[in-house]
Amino acid sequence: MANTKTYEEERLGYYKVLGGLLLLTVVTFIQPTMFLTDATFGVQMLIGTVKAWMIVMYYMHMKGEKLITATVIFALFLVSFFFVIVMIDVNNFQYGDVSHITSEITSAGGSSASVH
Amino acid sequence: MSDHPYVPEIATDREGNEYEVQGWQGDFFGGKLGFWLFMLTEIMMFGAMFMVLTYYFTLHHDDFINASSSLNRTLGGFNTVVLLISALTMGLGLLKMRYGDVKGAKLMIWATILLAIVFLGVKAVEWTAEYNHGVFLGLPALQGGLPESKPFGEIIFFGMYFTMTGLHGFHIIVGIGLMLWLLKRINANQVNREHYILYFNIVLYWDLVHLIWVFVFPYYYMIGAGLSTGGH
Repeated sequence: MANTKTYEEERLGYYKVLGGLLLLTVVTFIQPTMFLTDATFGVQMLIGTVKAWMIVMYYMHMKGEKLITATVIFALFLVSFFFVIVMIDVNNFQYGDVSHITSEITSAGGSSASVH
Repeated sequence: MSDHPYVPEIATDREGNEYEVQGWQGDFFGGKLGFWLFMLTEIMMFGAMFMVLTYYFTLHHDDFINASSSLNRTLGGFNTVVLLISALTMGLGLLKMRYGDVKGAKLMIWATILLAIVFLGVKAVEWTAEYNHGVFLGLPALQGGLPESKPFGEIIFFGMYFTMTGLHGFHIIVGIGLMLWLLKRINANQVNREHYILYFNIVLYWDLVHLIWVFVFPYYYMIGAGLSTGGH
């Protein structure tokens, strides 16, 4: 896939992406107090994902790179997979109520729950 | 002198055409793919941290919201814009280099370095303010089991905040170093219009640093923004 764009066209592309990213940054700022205030976390992550997609596709020149795209997706899948495995393990953690990972510390070296 | 016959190294371009590699900069796609493999390790490292953060957010929702509301969103937002513009200057610099404007490319690299220093300066101001408010790694507020300790969820939030923003800041410092090295290579004509894979990969690195901040900023600064207009 040869590059057929001129210098001016490519430069304009950079500025267009910048405009889009700045607009989304403004939305990031106003969202928690202006709209969908009950779903701030989800909306913020969604905006972040759209921004990330724009950066990866245009600034990082990923458009048309099938092999690299596949490796990135695989890496993200791998992290998610291990995270799910760990979450299943943590949710079935035998000592969850006395662990410092899941239970509040109330004194040096101790946790709020009693040892069973 | 070796008795072995000369065996040319053959690379394949994106169109599937084979060509002989002349020097380490000759295999552009190989260099790009190799750097992406490095960046995947970065994605997995920060990705794991974000997932840990998400897990604790589900466990200590209110503590996280309270802690987030106390961060300075104005400074965090300013740094977001600074990084955004720095990604543009870095990209435009590469574009200029590809079209033979070496002076313009170098100017853009210096602009990026300047913006990176501004980012670090603002971060230093933020951390200093947080330290002065007793919120910093090792201070009693972030240690469990003490009268002045913050709630458990807030301790985790701030622990992760300083760890991740600190690691991100370290990447910024490394980025500055890479850009200075790049300038040296350009001055030595090792990076030029024909051979710019090094420049390309450093731009990729800087975009990755920007990409990480795209998630760091809302995760830490914005999730509690609806609660108050706080800030240290």
